[in-house]
Amino acid sequence: MSREDDILDSLYDLTIDGERDKVVALTNESLELGMDPLVVLFDALIPALEEVGRQFEAGTFFVPEMLVAAKAMQGAMDVLRPLLAKTDAKPLGTFVMGTVKGDIHDIGKNLCNIMLEGAGFNVIDLGVNVQEQTFLDAIREHKPDALGLSAFLTTTMPMFIPLIAAIEEAGLRDGLLIYVGGAPVTQEYCDKVGADGYSPNASALVRHLKEKMGIKASG
Amino acid sequence: MDRRERFKKITNFEEADRVPVDLGSHVASIHRISYVNLKNHLNDPELKNEDVILDRMVQNVIPDEALLNRLNVDFRWIAPNWIDVVDVTDEIYMDMWKIEWQFMIDAYSVYSSPLSEAKTIADIENHPWPDPTDPKLWEGLAERAKWLYENTDYVLVADSIKGGILTKAFQIRGYEMMFADLANNLDFANALMDKILEMYKLFWEEFLKHVGPYVDMVYFTDDIGGQSSMMISPTTFRTMLQPRMAELIDHIKSKADVKFMYHTDGTVTPVIEDIIDMGADILNPIQTSAIGMETSVLKELYHGRLCFHGAIDVQQMLPFATPEEVRYDVTRRLYDLGRGGGYILAPCHNIGSDVPPENTEAMFKAAHEMGAYPLDLAQYLKKEHLEKPTEEQFAAQAEAPKLARAPRKGRS
Repeated sequence: MSREDDILDSLYDLTIDGERDKVVALTNESLELGMDPLVVLFDALIPALEEVGRQFEAGTFFVPEMLVAAKAMQGAMDVLRPLLAKTDAKPLGTFVMGTVKGDIHDIGKNLCNIMLEGAGFNVIDLGVNVQEQTFLDAIREHKPDALGLSAFLTTTMPMFIPLIAAIEEAGLRDGLLIYVGGAPVTQEYCDKVGADGYSPNASALVRHLKEKMGIKASG
Repeated sequence: MDRRERFKKITNFEEADRVPVDLGSHVASIHRISYVNLKNHLNDPELKNEDVILDRMVQNVIPDEALLNRLNVDFRWIAPNWIDVVDVTDEIYMDMWKIEWQFMIDAYSVYSSPLSEAKTIADIENHPWPDPTDPKLWEGLAERAKWLYENTDYVLVADSIKGGILTKAFQIRGYEMMFADLANNLDFANALMDKILEMYKLFWEEFLKHVGPYVDMVYFTDDIGGQSSMMISPTTFRTMLQPRMAELIDHIKSKADVKFMYHTDGTVTPVIEDIIDMGADILNPIQTSAIGMETSVLKELYHGRLCFHGAIDVQQMLPFATPEEVRYDVTRRLYDLGRGGGYILAPCHNIGSDVPPENTEAMFKAAHEMGAYPLDLAQYLKKEHLEKPTEEQFAAQAEAPKLARAPRKGRS
């Protein structure tokens, strides 16, 4: 096995283990050795997050394990991002995300962001308690493939309804996939508010979105 | 039958005259907006208290005695006084743990966590922890508990030392930081949870000095369950929480003769055996809208070892159902959980501002009309709700088998 394969295997395992500092160090080392940042991304980091998603959906991993793996991936991405920008690699798509007005819960949203970024999407996070106009402006500016709306409370999830209506009224609904999520949200509620997709967790969101956009898993 | 006698029988897994009914703890009372709606709906000028807030965070009220009587609630709750609250802005307050809470729509959520920047175990020690011996916390509680004990037959509960070992750690450390600590910063996570355990032991000791001789039950609220899976792994629960909970429960039970009710929202099916082992007598709130919290299955598996409290869902059911559907759901939970005792009917959480008052009324009406022993309820239920749980349903309660890590696969 080559030194390069060794490094990729270690990066893969350490990312899954959530060892952020070691992942960052090894990512730097890989670049010093002249490895292609795209190889590091597509042959180690993205497969690692896919495995984390698989472990989460199988009930072996829980939020803590998923979160530290995602943070390790983020550490590596901070190193790779400037280099990736110079390649001709394009993101899989652009995803605008935000927690709706009246709601300041963000952990589910943040996990989705990291898993999406880890899968190769360009993620624009609008934060929490996001006003309607901010969503509209972001859709105009970034022309995303998909929009994610998060709500943690039964009292805030009804915000989806006027928000989606405003997006339609502004003529921004065509070609935009709208995802809704958060603890009380269900597929039934997603259908009721006229969203395109619902996902119970971050890794399922990535899977659904890729399916909907016709993107194959890298493994 | 005397209410305390009813409680005793039910928690000893015997049938009494009826299933006890509860409302009014700091996590399962009525939101102030819902309370006004209910008051208007019932058209009862005797109902007051819409401005008497029980828990500032969730904006629920201490229900008026006239309402509790009208709904025939068997329990009365005794909560410490809120002290050392600082109003930071019009919308933000800081509690005695130095956690900041921000108002949104109709309640408060965590806004900032005092130990979010902490790096070392010394930072935990240096945090200005609240003083459990501050007399202002306990002022008037002994008198109230004694009076209720001597003059009524209500089941009395010591409540509202808010937040459990994990929940308090999340709030003090920040959710994201604490989740990460639980995965790979274990020394810090353990030190923080040790400190919180030490604080809770002192808080409960003080509380029970005042109300111990009068209360029948202690209510301790943590949250380890999420909507579709646990928030932490069963292993993390067993190694980090369960031993500390066992220590706390031993401590509490050495100070007063009480039943211990453990609260966790969400789905917790893989660790219910562990919850029994740590000394919990009653599990609350059985969030039936979470995956796997199937009342018929839980009863089959744990009846005789664990009592259930709650099961009337406020997330998917009460806000959206018709009063007829509420009545059906109440009947179904009584049938599933009430047979042979071991069940106290209550809402799973606060009756929120999104719950129509007709549904609140229907819930308590059905609880009393359908909850008399012997429970002869099969006639009211659909066939699918009368069937015994399947092997598959039992299997789904277990912990997921560990999935082997797939080897790395590159693109090429």
